[in-house]
Amino acid sequence: MKKLSVENVLEGMILAREVCGTSGNILLIKGTQLNPALGRRLKNWGIPFVYIEGEEESMTQESAPSISPEDLKKHLMTKFSDVINNPLMKQIFAAVFQFRLQKMGK
Amino acid sequence: MTADRNILETIGNISTIPTLPTVIDRITRLLQNPKTSAEEIGKAITTDQALASKVLKLVNSAFYGFPGRINTITHAIVILGFSTVKNIVLTASIFDAFRTKGNSFAGFNLEQFWLHSIACGAASQAIAKFIGSSEKEECFIAGLVHDVGKIILCQYLPEQFKSIIHQTRQKQSLFYQSEKELFDITHQEIGGYLAERWNLPPNLQNAIMYHHIPMPSRENYLTTAIVHCADIFVRALDYGNGGDEKIPLMSDNVWKNLGLDTLSIPSLFEGIHDEIEKATVFIQIT
Repeated sequence: MKKLSVENVLEGMILAREVCGTSGNILLIKGTQLNPALGRRLKNWGIPFVYIEGEEESMTQESAPSISPEDLKKHLMTKFSDVINNPLMKQIFAAVFQFRLQKMGK
Repeated sequence: MTADRNILETIGNISTIPTLPTVIDRITRLLQNPKTSAEEIGKAITTDQALASKVLKLVNSAFYGFPGRINTITHAIVILGFSTVKNIVLTASIFDAFRTKGNSFAGFNLEQFWLHSIACGAASQAIAKFIGSSEKEECFIAGLVHDVGKIILCQYLPEQFKSIIHQTRQKQSLFYQSEKELFDITHQEIGGYLAERWNLPPNLQNAIMYHHIPMPSRENYLTTAIVHCADIFVRALDYGNGGDEKIPLMSDNVWKNLGLDTLSIPSLFEGIHDEIEKATVFIQIT
């Protein structure tokens, strides 16, 4: 799945996630075939990004390790091990862990 | 143990250390004249075709968020302004200067290094935006080049570089800790020296020199503080790798002076995540 600006929508791209309006109503369902004209309409509706099917090319996906929460915690503990006794770093550690869990969809 | 003077001298004597393209100099001089037109700057940049096409690629990317199609440098300047285009040219030139052959050396992964650098640039920009600074673009470049000293070491002092990597791994320390112990000089100082030779603006020089030890009393502290913070965050978020596995301590004065608190971290991280996604285009020009 790839996140894409509506300005870069090309013929043949398929929606990987439904597009919702500001009141939660579904504008386009998952699986809809997109084209530049639809992209322009989305832009007029105030939608900046869509999710399309296909290989993720962005750095953020590549860099997200697909590991379990326990392993993620272990990994972060190792990274923070020299500084974890510092109260600020402890807070940053907790915030990082939460954010990464959320990004992993857990 | 080699004294730090020797390393700087060695670097100073290497005739093949890259220089920034002459176009940067020309643009800087043209920009000092308030009567310079967009066309004149456009012409100056277009003399370097490869550079101009990189600039156009970046200009048309989501990173700069302009919805139309920009086909000429002159058009880019009219739409984005002199300052933005100058920063784009600088960014493209710096990548050009260090285009690396091969992907890894002594176990140091160059692609991961550039990912870390680009992420740090994007994160710096996001932090600058978050705190309401008007120097978002300068912060991007500062974050991008903060570790350029490591590339100098890797490319021009490979034996020293190998031993730093080895020690870092052995002791599970930070890269700069090994540098200090082995050679009493760090990538910050080496990078700062290069930045000076390249006549980069003072805030970039300082961000490179002091990103591990930001001090409020130094000039251009804000840019340095932002890069210091960005470096720590992108390490914690695992965007790329700068040659070590540990996280440096966040400077208390940076945290206070940037006005950050742990409650604001989630939305700051979202901003960082978004900027890094947009900056993916820079990987294509490394």
